[in-house]
Parts: sequence; structure tokens; C-alpha cells
Amino acid sequence: MRRAGTTLLKLLSPASGGGRKRVLRAAGAIAALLLSLVATAAAAQRVERPGPLPGPSLGGPADSSVPPSVPSAPTVPELIVDLSQARVSITSAFQGESLLLFGMFDPPGEIVVVVQGPPARETVMRKERFLGLWLNTGRQSFDDVPAYYFIAASAPLQRLLARGAGGEILSLEDRLSSIRPVRWRSSEELAKFRGGLVEVKRREDLYPAAFGQVTVQANRLFRAELPFPSRLPEGVYDVRAYLLREGKIVAAVSRPLPVGKVGFNAQLAGWSRQEGALYGLGAIVMALALGWLGGAVVRRL
Amino acid sequence: MEIYLPIAEQSMNVFVLFALGAAAGLLAGMFGVGGGFLATPMLIFVGIPPTVAVASQANQVIANSISSLQVQWRRGNVDLRMGLVLLLGGMLGSSAGVSLFTWLKRIGQIDFVIAVMYVLMLSSIGLLMLFESLRTYFRRRRDPTGPRGKLHTHYLVHRLPWKMRFYKSKLYISAFLPIGLGFVIGILSAILGVGGGFVLVPAMIYLLGMPTSVVIGTSNFQILFVAANVTFLQAVTNGTVDVVLALLLILGGVVGAPIGSRIAAKLPGVVLRGLMAVLVLGVAMQLLFELLRTPVSAYSLGVREVLP
Repeated sequence: MRRAGTTLLKLLSPASGGGRKRVLRAAGAIAALLLSLVATAAAAQRVERPGPLPGPSLGGPADSSVPPSVPSAPTVPELIVDLSQARVSITSAFQGESLLLFGMFDPPGEIVVVVQGPPARETVMRKERFLGLWLNTGRQSFDDVPAYYFIAASAPLQRLLARGAGGEILSLEDRLSSIRPVRWRSSEELAKFRGGLVEVKRREDLYPAAFGQVTVQANRLFRAELPFPSRLPEGVYDVRAYLLREGKIVAAVSRPLPVGKVGFNAQLAGWSRQEGALYGLGAIVMALALGWLGGAVVRRL
Repeated sequence: MEIYLPIAEQSMNVFVLFALGAAAGLLAGMFGVGGGFLATPMLIFVGIPPTVAVASQANQVIANSISSLQVQWRRGNVDLRMGLVLLLGGMLGSSAGVSLFTWLKRIGQIDFVIAVMYVLMLSSIGLLMLFESLRTYFRRRRDPTGPRGKLHTHYLVHRLPWKMRFYKSKLYISAFLPIGLGFVIGILSAILGVGGGFVLVPAMIYLLGMPTSVVIGTSNFQILFVAANVTFLQAVTNGTVDVVLALLLILGGVVGAPIGSRIAAKLPGVVLRGLMAVLVLGVAMQLLFELLRTPVSAYSLGVREVLP
């Protein structure tokens, strides 16, 4: 490594001769390319500015169009919810994100928040040892698998669910018992694959293992952190908040949370998906140009 | 500094990717091979999905071979006729390879096939190179001049029909040989994301009997077009070429290549080949270990399909 370092120094020293100016110009061009990439990434990040928020669609009896200035009036909603961001934007600097969900409710009661990613077909593959090597020998597809699943509650969830809200609010286990196997196997085999699905999703933090905590303040304000990992599938997520009193849901608010790539990333992914041929040609031209330029720089040294 | 890769759909450290590209470039400069055989397994090792790693690495190979071809072309070290015949096989092979890749991906065995092919190819080439360089090393110590061999020996393969004259390579052989060789390299290139130089170069010397002077240039010529074909077909059929990933690898390679050639200029050829053999064997061992080791989890997920 030290040898490589000194070689690099030698390459950069003025002793390398007359071609140095041209080399610097070419190196400058490469640096400019890299900078432009970083700049696009930064710009993409700036794009993400919360737009006008869509009004919460109501799952419960409350009406949120009335401003919550007089909480005691009978027409006022019992539950109001908002998010710190209207959408999750996957920029070039995206490394996962934590959103803040906050709101207000009429006491008494407990709050449960459920966040679900868009459903899709997932294929679970199982490795087995074959002639000493590990390879995929079994596979099982399931339909209607949520991309992401997170529950937060203001009190221990088991206690809340035990009291009868179970029909509407599902723990991850209950939610996954409803996913449809594409091909039927024995129920213990299906259970194993289902377990494998949870295992992989947990590892990618898409099914966070721990229940989230909904923090209640002054008996009517609440907040919860929604953790989103970096390998987040795109789509419209569903964020739902429930107000429970004595185990029964008295109010529910649901709002969509779009998750998607923005700016440069969205552009590239879109081209790759829809204009594969053009994207491929672009990739080839980029490699040719950079390789040619790089080669020219190297030869001058 | 992390960057989100739009096709791999995950964030990765920029410097890790840049360093991988630089390592591949270093090898390219030192040994005259693409370095893809090292970079692809490493990309998979740091967590890039194998399908994306292979396709994006093929894109990087284009940059690598054009910069090397520039020099070789100017020096007249490209046997164009041989290159075109090889390319005919290469195009067929790489197109078949991408179809094979797509099929393996669908049945969920692509990761395994990539790993097994790497282990087989790298260990056999590594061992061959190691023995060859050890033999040369000890023989040269005994007898500095060494015995002179024939220009090239004649095997059964020289009796195949459809003979062609390759003036620059001073060869009169059946066109089926280079076409077949190109075909095999094309498949390797499509499935493993390598240029295939480290298979092609020895095969051209020992199997076809080409003079060493035109081997590197001609192999680069063929690799350039085959890698472009693989990139294009992967982008069209699988959509797994990540240009942001490829860009970082290429930039790393641009930095690494001159350092590699400086190192190569200082070391004797035998030592260089011995080092390369040890490196190749090391990568093969690592991959074999991954295949034999009990995995952290027996389960993995295939491609997520959003149904309409």
C-alpha cells in the first residue's frame, strides 16, 4: 500500500513532464463529472419539500375538517393525526429515515398506530445442504404480503388487543396468517416458510421486531417515531391511527404515505424500467467515454 | 459518505465502491486482465445483489477494455481478423449467456450458479498459473536461457474443417476454434460479469497458438464488444445495470490502473504471475468457504412482484 502511495505521489509530482497540463485538464473533466453527480444528488435532496398535505380520510366517526380549536365541542374530531413529512423521498443520500407521527385525541383512551407497506407477491426460498454445498432447494410464494409492517401503541399491545380490538388491529403474526400461499403445501411447511419470510424481513428492518412506543403528553397529545430502513420498497404506504377506549375502537384516522425515489434516482430507475434499450446504450456510452478519457490520462503520465 | 444506488435499491459507502474499482484497476494495470473476477465477488460480498453486481460490472469492463485497447490499437497489436471471428462466437455466447442468466434468475438458482462457476474457474486457473510460475521460476534458476520450444504444436483440433488464414497471428487454423472460444468467453462474461481476459489470454496463447504480442490487444478488442453486448442485453431483459455503481467502479479503475502498471514495471514477470495466482486462489477459497459454511439464515427472498 505504501508503495502504491509513493507511486501516486510520483505521478502527481511536476517531474512527470510536459503532458502534465493536459493531464490536469482531463483529470479536471473527470472531477467535474463526479461533482455533477454529487450536485444532482444534493439537488434531488432539496426537491423533497413537503407539498400540500392530503386531508386525512376518515376511518372512524370523527370529522377532521373542523379545526381542533374547541376540543370540548361535540362536532370536534376525537382523533387528529399528522406526519412530519408528507412522503418518504428516496434521494441519492437516502439511508433510511425516521418520520414523526403526531396528533391529538380526546381523553380518555389509548392510541395504536399501524403502518403497512403496499402488498405484493413475495417468494421465499430455502437453502439446504446438497453434497456439502448450500443451495436453494425449496421455494414458496405468498400473495398479499405487506412490504413493511410496524405497530406502535401507547400501552402494551397485547393488553389492548386482548380486549377486543383484534378484528381491526392486527399484530404482525395475525396479519401474516392471512397472506395467501400461491401453491399449497402441508401447513407445517407453510408455517416454516412464513417464519422464513418474517426472519428475512426482520433482518432488513422491514418488520421491526420491537413494538413502537406512542408517547402521550398532557393526556391528549401523542407522538410516535416511524422507522424506515434504507432498503425500503416503493409504493403507497398506509398509516393508520386508532383511538381505543375500553378495548373498543372509537375513532380511526388513515392517511396514505407515498414512498418513492425522487430526482436523479427516480429518473434513472424509470429509464431502466421503461427504456431498457436506451438506458443500456447510455450506460455503454458513459463507460466508453470515461474509459477513453481515463486511458488518455494514464498514457500522459 | 453513503450513496443510494437506484437499481440495486440500497445505500452503499461511496469509498468502498471506489476502492473496489481501484483494486480492479490496479489488477488491470498490473496483470493486463480486467479485474472483474475480483470486483464482482467483492461486490456480492459487500451486499450488492449478485444480479446487479454482474450486470454493472460488465458495464465497467467496457471502460477498462477501451482504455487498454487505445494503446494496443495504436501499436498495431490487434489482429482484426481474429478479433472479428472471436467476436462472432462472443456475441452468440453472450446473448445465450444472458438468456441463461434470466432463466436461472427465474428459477432462483442464479446466486448459486455464479458462486459455483467462480469457484471452478478461479481455482483451476489459479492452480494452473501457480504451477506454471513455480516451474518457470525454478527452471530459470537452474538454466537461465531455457530450452526453446516449437513455434506451436499441432493437436487434433488443427484438423477441423473451415480453415482460415490469420496473417497477423501467423496462423492457419479452423475458424471453429476461435468461434468456440469466443462463445465460451461470451457465456462467462454474461453470467459472471467478467471480461474473461484471464481465460481468453491463456487460451489464445496455448490453445490457438497466437503470438504473445497480439494477444492482449486482440482479446481487448473482443472483450469490449462482448461486454457492451452483455450490458445492453442485461439492461433490456433484466434491468439490472446500475449506472451509478458502474460510474464509481470506473472512476476507481481510472485511478487504480496507472498505479498497477507502475508496480508491474518494477516486478519480474514470474513474481507477478505468482502473485496473481495466489490472489485468484484466495478469492476462489473465500467463495468456496461461503458455499460450504452454514448460512446465517436458510431463507432468502426472491424478486418482489407487485401484481396489478
